[in-house]
Amino acid sequence: MNILVCVKRVPMTGGTIVLTPDEQAIETRHLGFTISPHEECGVEEAVRLIEAQGGESAVLSLGPADAEEQLRDAMALGIDRAVLLQTDEEFDGQSTASAILASIEADRASGVEYDLIFFGNESADAGNYQVGIRVAHALGRPCVTGVKGIAVENGRARCEQEVPGGRDVYDVPLPAVVTVKEGLNLPRYPSVPGRLRAKRKPLETRTPERGAPGVEKIRLKLPEGDASQAEILGHGPAAAPAVVDVLRRAGLVA
Amino acid sequence: MTLVYVEHQDGAPEDVSLQALALARDLAGGEAVQALVAGPSAADAAAALGEHGVTTVHVPDHEVFASHAPAALGRALTQLAARLGSGAVLAAGTERGNEVMAHAAAIADLPLAANCTEVTAGDPLTVTRIRWGGSLLEEARVHGGTKLLTVAPHTVEASASGGSPAAVEPFTPELSDADTAVRVVGRVGTRSEGGVTLADAKFVVSCGRGVGSPDGFAPAEELAALLGGAVGCSRAVTIAGWRPHTDQVGQTGTKIAPEVYLACGISGATQHMAGCKGAKRIIAVNTDPEAPIISHAAYAVIGDLHEVIPAITAELRKAGAG
Amino acid sequence: MGAGLFARRARMLVRIMRLGRPAERFDDIPQRVRQEAVVAIGQKKILQRLGPGVMHALIFWGFIVLFPTIVMAMIGAVDKGATLPWLGHQGWFAFLVDLFAVLVLASVCAAFYIRKVVRPARFEGSHLGEADLILLWIAGIVTTLLLWHATRIALGINEWPASWSPAANALSNLFGTGQPTETLERVFVWAHVLLILSFLAYLPYSKHLHIITAVINVFFGRTTPRGRLEPLVFDDPDVPEDEIRMGAGTLTDMTWKQMMDTVTCTECGRCQEVCPAWNTGKALSPKLLIMGLRDHMLEQGPKLLAGDEEAAAAPLVPDAVTDEVVWDCVTCGACVRECPVSIEHIDHIVDLRRHLVMAEARFPAEADPMMRDIERSSNPWGKAQQDRAEWAEGLGVRVLEPGEPAPEVLYWVGCAASFDERARQTAVSTAKLLQAAGVDFAILGPRESCTGDPARRMGNEYVFQAFAAENVETLNDAGVTKIVASCPHCFNTLANEYPDFGGRYEVMHHTELLAELVRDGRLAATAGSEEITYHDSCYLARHNDVIADPRALVEAVGKPVEMANHGKRTFCCGAGGAHMWMEERGKPINEERVRQAAETGAKTLAVACPFCTVMLDDGVRTSGSDLRVADVATLLAESLDEPADPPA
Repeated sequence: MNILVCVKRVPMTGGTIVLTPDEQAIETRHLGFTISPHEECGVEEAVRLIEAQGGESAVLSLGPADAEEQLRDAMALGIDRAVLLQTDEEFDGQSTASAILASIEADRASGVEYDLIFFGNESADAGNYQVGIRVAHALGRPCVTGVKGIAVENGRARCEQEVPGGRDVYDVPLPAVVTVKEGLNLPRYPSVPGRLRAKRKPLETRTPERGAPGVEKIRLKLPEGDASQAEILGHGPAAAPAVVDVLRRAGLVA
Repeated sequence: MTLVYVEHQDGAPEDVSLQALALARDLAGGEAVQALVAGPSAADAAAALGEHGVTTVHVPDHEVFASHAPAALGRALTQLAARLGSGAVLAAGTERGNEVMAHAAAIADLPLAANCTEVTAGDPLTVTRIRWGGSLLEEARVHGGTKLLTVAPHTVEASASGGSPAAVEPFTPELSDADTAVRVVGRVGTRSEGGVTLADAKFVVSCGRGVGSPDGFAPAEELAALLGGAVGCSRAVTIAGWRPHTDQVGQTGTKIAPEVYLACGISGATQHMAGCKGAKRIIAVNTDPEAPIISHAAYAVIGDLHEVIPAITAELRKAGAG
Repeated sequence: MGAGLFARRARMLVRIMRLGRPAERFDDIPQRVRQEAVVAIGQKKILQRLGPGVMHALIFWGFIVLFPTIVMAMIGAVDKGATLPWLGHQGWFAFLVDLFAVLVLASVCAAFYIRKVVRPARFEGSHLGEADLILLWIAGIVTTLLLWHATRIALGINEWPASWSPAANALSNLFGTGQPTETLERVFVWAHVLLILSFLAYLPYSKHLHIITAVINVFFGRTTPRGRLEPLVFDDPDVPEDEIRMGAGTLTDMTWKQMMDTVTCTECGRCQEVCPAWNTGKALSPKLLIMGLRDHMLEQGPKLLAGDEEAAAAPLVPDAVTDEVVWDCVTCGACVRECPVSIEHIDHIVDLRRHLVMAEARFPAEADPMMRDIERSSNPWGKAQQDRAEWAEGLGVRVLEPGEPAPEVLYWVGCAASFDERARQTAVSTAKLLQAAGVDFAILGPRESCTGDPARRMGNEYVFQAFAAENVETLNDAGVTKIVASCPHCFNTLANEYPDFGGRYEVMHHTELLAELVRDGRLAATAGSEEITYHDSCYLARHNDVIADPRALVEAVGKPVEMANHGKRTFCCGAGGAHMWMEERGKPINEERVRQAAETGAKTLAVACPFCTVMLDDGVRTSGSDLRVADVATLLAESLDEPADPPA
């Protein structure tokens, strides 16, 4: 079995987000980077499936040269090889999908056909919710999204998707595209031998083509409201209506 | 003409879909708004949707829609939009709304702007959309013939316009085998017995050592049950042996990411905050207005958890929840 | 035959130890000679416990004195009329022999009293029967010696003046001058010799081997700073990747010194008695750890020498010690300080952790976020680096930007004091005090990263070294020469461990610098009347001898009262060894320490470490104590703010 996992390099925010002066990006000078949490689970699942069933796994990322760090991280966990679609530009959902598709087709031309392609359900930063589905349609393959449980058997993938009150089950034939969510598994911690091996594993850099963006970023902005100051809803039991109002706005109360 | 994909529960439209409708009506600027509603009892939504300004409810007719079938929905939506000549297609920015719209976008090869909070009509369309799970907003232009958008939940108020019930028009989409291959074939219970897990809960209420005893968690349990949420606790509580370690919210416990985190009598130690930084909104309930958690919370109630939690439960019951 | 048996066993042990990895212990010879003189000959560490210490020292010194008598007895056994030339005739030597024979006998009695009547808990898990047997053996050896001497005096064949050996002389009255005494004289000398030879044969099979190994182990004991861990080498071009040592996974991963440690252990249990983990009901006892490794080595070693591959692969964890034991350690160093024979328990623990973490990625799950956060966010809580200097907002503290001139002192704030609300107060107080004293200082702000200490103590040497390299580069590029650190863990790493990675600075803890400023009159504190008890951080007091300066500060602001365990005998707060990010099983160490602090009657518990601050403050909350936990820097800053002591 051949598995491809698509991952994105994203900064570790977690504190106050600061924008660059041109408002086009987050100021990342002092931030660390990671693989989007959903995709980390995709990497882990790919490694587990290959460990259990044999085959080869690859990881792909579209991003800057520094994304090699994330690709090596994935290989440290056991992924066999990596493809970097290197660009310093931001791709929208549509052009990301096209670039990934082109890369998959290039692999196919060299004889590598993926039985299973994992994406994150959505990226941590852009939150476009669409790249995996677009790639699936372009390849003419079924796509299950938001997967938190997967079992691959007899050329089919049985996928579980969390919904209120339980899990919906999908059963699709391979080859397929699956977008996964954090909670699918607990990603392992990389061993040092794994990290050392990852340094030597093959990493191929390709240049993606970026079409005209369909969703064209004008600028980023921070949500209104001073995040560092809590809004006092009230004192004692008298605050209950205000609390319920917050719950309602959060969609927890009809 | 603007088309909206409406999610519903047994014919009752979801609130988030009504919010998307409100935005769609704004965008349509007086033009007709129509809806695609799928599944059994879809037609039952006509009356409610009429009140929210929908003139026609289109119901796709195919056995696959007996359960959720996202690719088929995307196909049906694309075909309907093409037939109706829709300038824009919207849905709620829920998991399923985003999923169905992404299928439609992929099929039609059109741009899709997910989780918009504001839209300004025009060509290109200008939107404000959510990134980073709400920590950041993006202003963007949406190109393409038909504009595809999802509306971030709870950022737009639903508003009834008091229209008459919508007309119901069944239609038969042309679906390939590939379109129908992806569908829900069964349902299994959640792994945890009797409720959601702490890590997955959309609502978490935690208590610190101030609850006084293991029994002190009863009001929190009641509140969590009412909202389909889970109960967490601080490290001090698990050290005291009042709750299992799996209930501990924190860096060395469970990391949570609920829509609302109600932290009661929790001081906000660094190790605790590392476990709940994924929460969208934190409401801190604390007698001490200087407690560190207040500086991390979006909202605060200054008061004793023993009084505040039951008051919230009572208020919710009054509001008809549970 | 006795000697033969001894040699055979000793050869086996040496062969096993030769399987061990190298350890750099042949340097620093003058220091090694000094520790041999003080710790081995001088019995300094064993005398840390006075009663048992004196008892042991007398037996030990007794055996040194009595050593020539072994030769004399052997000569005497073969030839009744012969002895060692010169020495055998010396009255003063006879006196020493007589005196120490009696002292050894008395000490054996004292030892039995300790073991049978006092029965200290430290012996739990030790081989008690074996110890009793050895004591009886020793008693037998000296008793037969005395009796042999007595019979010789009775027979008038003593080569030395009888008056020089009062005990033997007195005993000689029991014997006549006839044939029975002649026979008894032969019996006693042969009994004496046989007891010694059988003792020699038994020795290498027992914990009593320490009479030989301890002498060697003390000589090869570490001469480097106590707080420093030995670095592993990941990028030696001569070492193939799969042969890189990643701590200790199997027997042959242990260094020969570590193997020597195990056969040096006397099972005295002093380490166990002071261990905060053992004292709060955890699985770890440093003594049982070493004994477990020894048993494993003695079981697998011979098989390994015979080419048994299964033995070669036998994992130390869980075969020799359990995972739980490995993770219970807080690296406080109480055991290492206490050990009379220079066993280095922390190095064993860390090497076991290194293998588990790096080779197997096996460690308590709750520490996983910390390890990932250090790597990704440069701090163990996953906070945003750009918020690192948030605590200093509005204080006018200079943040050293690249290219700017280095300050006189770089203030290394540390992650806890940068991000943790309770610990931040220490940073604020320290900054204000340095400003008040007019010290030219700056902080690195977002360019300061975790030193890597929690990763290193978890066994994640690989990640630690990455951070060491990065921080050393930042510090060296900035031209920093002098550092003051708030966190004793950062302080220890910067001072004792970064030199291994090219970072050599004058490093002070903030209590040292503040005490200096108070002494120089640059900070004028006003002593209040409040009773304050100071909790020593392990990484200050025990690992780095910083004991007097924090006390000077406490004295400058209040009335110091000491806890029973203080200074080098301090009791850990429970956070060391990366335990700040692990869940504790059983009785919490911090609550035990808070109980000890509350016993003093003081209202304020002064600390000098951000981890101690958080742990003890948590302990105060969970145990319902009304102690106020505050860093000495904060107490000092308050005393400057309010020069007049408010009336009690």
